[in-house]
Amino acid sequence: MQWLMALETNGDPISICRLMNIFRRKGVGVVTLTLAARPSGFSLMALVETPEADVDHLFNLLRRTEGVDHVTCYRHEPSGDASFVFIDEDPASTNVARFLQTFPESKLIFASHGKYLLEVPADRRARPVASDSGELQFMPFARVKTTVAQPELVAAQAS
Amino acid sequence: MGRVFTGSEILLESLSREKVEVFFGLPGGAVLPLYDALYSAGIRHLLVRHEQAAAFAADGYARVTGKPGVCLGTSGPGATNLITGLTSAMMDSIPVVALTGQVPLAMIGKDAFQEADTIGISMPSTKASYLVRAAVDIPRIIHRAFSTAVSGRPGPVLVDLPKSVLMEKAEPVYPSTPGSEKPERIREWRDEDIERAAEMILESRRAVFYVGGGVIASDAWRELRELAELAHIPVTTTLMGLGAFPSAHPLSLGMLGMHGSYATNQSICQCDLLVAIGARFDDRVTGRLKDFASQSKKIHIDVDPSEVNKNVRVDLALVGDARENLRALIDELKRQVREGKTAAHSGRQQWLQRIESWRGEHPLTYDKYGHTVKPQYVIETLSNFAAEDAILAVDVGQHQMWAAQFWSFNQPRTCLSSSGLGSMGYGFPAAMGAQLAFPNRQVIAVVGDGGFQMTLNDLATVAQYRVPVKIAIINNRALGMVRQWQEIFFEKRYCDIDLNFAPDFSKLAESYGIRGVRVEHRTDVPDAVRDFLSDREPRLIDFWVDPAENVYPIVPPGASLAEMVVEPPRVQVEEEEALDDLWAV
Repeated sequence: MQWLMALETNGDPISICRLMNIFRRKGVGVVTLTLAARPSGFSLMALVETPEADVDHLFNLLRRTEGVDHVTCYRHEPSGDASFVFIDEDPASTNVARFLQTFPESKLIFASHGKYLLEVPADRRARPVASDSGELQFMPFARVKTTVAQPELVAAQAS
Repeated sequence: MGRVFTGSEILLESLSREKVEVFFGLPGGAVLPLYDALYSAGIRHLLVRHEQAAAFAADGYARVTGKPGVCLGTSGPGATNLITGLTSAMMDSIPVVALTGQVPLAMIGKDAFQEADTIGISMPSTKASYLVRAAVDIPRIIHRAFSTAVSGRPGPVLVDLPKSVLMEKAEPVYPSTPGSEKPERIREWRDEDIERAAEMILESRRAVFYVGGGVIASDAWRELRELAELAHIPVTTTLMGLGAFPSAHPLSLGMLGMHGSYATNQSICQCDLLVAIGARFDDRVTGRLKDFASQSKKIHIDVDPSEVNKNVRVDLALVGDARENLRALIDELKRQVREGKTAAHSGRQQWLQRIESWRGEHPLTYDKYGHTVKPQYVIETLSNFAAEDAILAVDVGQHQMWAAQFWSFNQPRTCLSSSGLGSMGYGFPAAMGAQLAFPNRQVIAVVGDGGFQMTLNDLATVAQYRVPVKIAIINNRALGMVRQWQEIFFEKRYCDIDLNFAPDFSKLAESYGIRGVRVEHRTDVPDAVRDFLSDREPRLIDFWVDPAENVYPIVPPGASLAEMVVEPPRVQVEEEEALDDLWAV
């Protein structure tokens, strides 16, 4: 089963080494991966292949690893509604541009080396959409775990 | 501008502010500036004869005190020699801070003399590793290292110190409190989780507490005992958990797993609720995973979220500090009982009686009447004569398992063992570290002749500083556990396990100025042990034990706990003779 792991670390490259070593030791199959440097550290996004039973352990191991600031784990939802989409495109492709045309409210979460993660508004869940120049190529994902604090939903008080 | 100090002076002051009383190390080129500063500093340093012993000693110090142990090696080989000790500390969650010398900053990456990629090499063996790039950073990084070592799940941390940084001058700013003073503890359970756990405990009829080193690390043994007595639930411990619950307590089941007793392993197989506390479902504990406690619901209490559902899936996880968890659980159980929910006490009584009958069927025992010295007898005798608060450090192998089976553990932090990594050579230097922490307590290293030969060069350290550790060698002239496995699982094809070519350990000890004696007859054991433990000097006693003795019960590799072999098969006379030939010196 495929999962998208988005990680943010501090600026010490050894933190990235620790993460890569965890993938290696735990037998996680890395399908595609990209790394980006930020002023305060590194962002890593990896599309990985690992059994569902191991994901809890992997997520918890990553989040408690020294130097890791945040981990978010997305589950591939091939047949479901996508809150998030991952696009891995070559330089000649126009997938991202066409996706943003189709879903202009989408929010870009991550972009590096042709790999894009976008959040799609809840009322416009993305499904493969035919456009003038063919079907959009993306992978739908649902966010299942994150260490990033999410805004809490507060029920409206009846007046 | 305030006063400036060298990096070495700042480092020693930082250690002092972390309340480090002693550290273990061996000097070399890259750390010469540090030893120069040490010359006039008030902090105690023990010169070991190999850096591996420094790491093991720091580990031993940490296990008995709960405070981080500190070790030091120079760059290159000094650092790489620490790695086994750090890996062992990592596996057993022991807070150790390792300081390593490094070549000057400008020479890193140039393959300089005694340069090694210490940060890279230590990465999987430590919780964290830091390269210090400026002397002014030393106070902050040392603070962070000590904090990281004790926070969450404890473990080793390495700080790599380039020679240029040790020599650089800076104006230090020290954190106001020691990093190890207030460990960070996560808490991820909710009150309703504790309520549910209490309900599960009250509903169960055949519950067992399965306790690991986490209970000792979080100082939760009082809560464990209170909870066990309150709920009337028996307690089994892992090797790491020995001492967390008194061996002599009526609810004590002793150690479980590969060499656990029949009653203990049966109780795991038959229980309807297993509460794992600070334990990690290690393969030596579980046997074949799919059959482990298969009739039970499971609760897992652990400070490390990554342990939850790693090996065994559980019904309820309480991620947080064991002590805080157990306290909340005790309070909640009492509340539920006050509200009328009663424990299934009649069922519990039947359960305890059933365990007692299993104990009667297959007790832990050995041949007490033969003419040879039985290793179990030696360990039992040592345990009987040892002080109430004696600390036992074991090595790895058969004697380690016999110690787990036959030593009576009364207090926490009295059993030191390289449990996860199983590193031979650990016992003796770990005892040395423990003795430095508690100079007035009895510290006994029970080691095998194989493991002792890996670190016996530190007899010199013990002699030099008159560290009064007691070294008891369970000498079977072989790599006993390997020999046992070759005998049982490899059709007696004994290959490279013969250690008959060894020094006379008692004479070797004498050559270091340490009293040594050899014991070869069963009847001499009690008097020899009494004399061995009678003074405050380092001593060595070399017990020549029955070389054919094996550790039983045993769960064969890949088998379930229910498939344990409780006693050795009867051997034919000719086979006995063949063994006698093999062991004839």
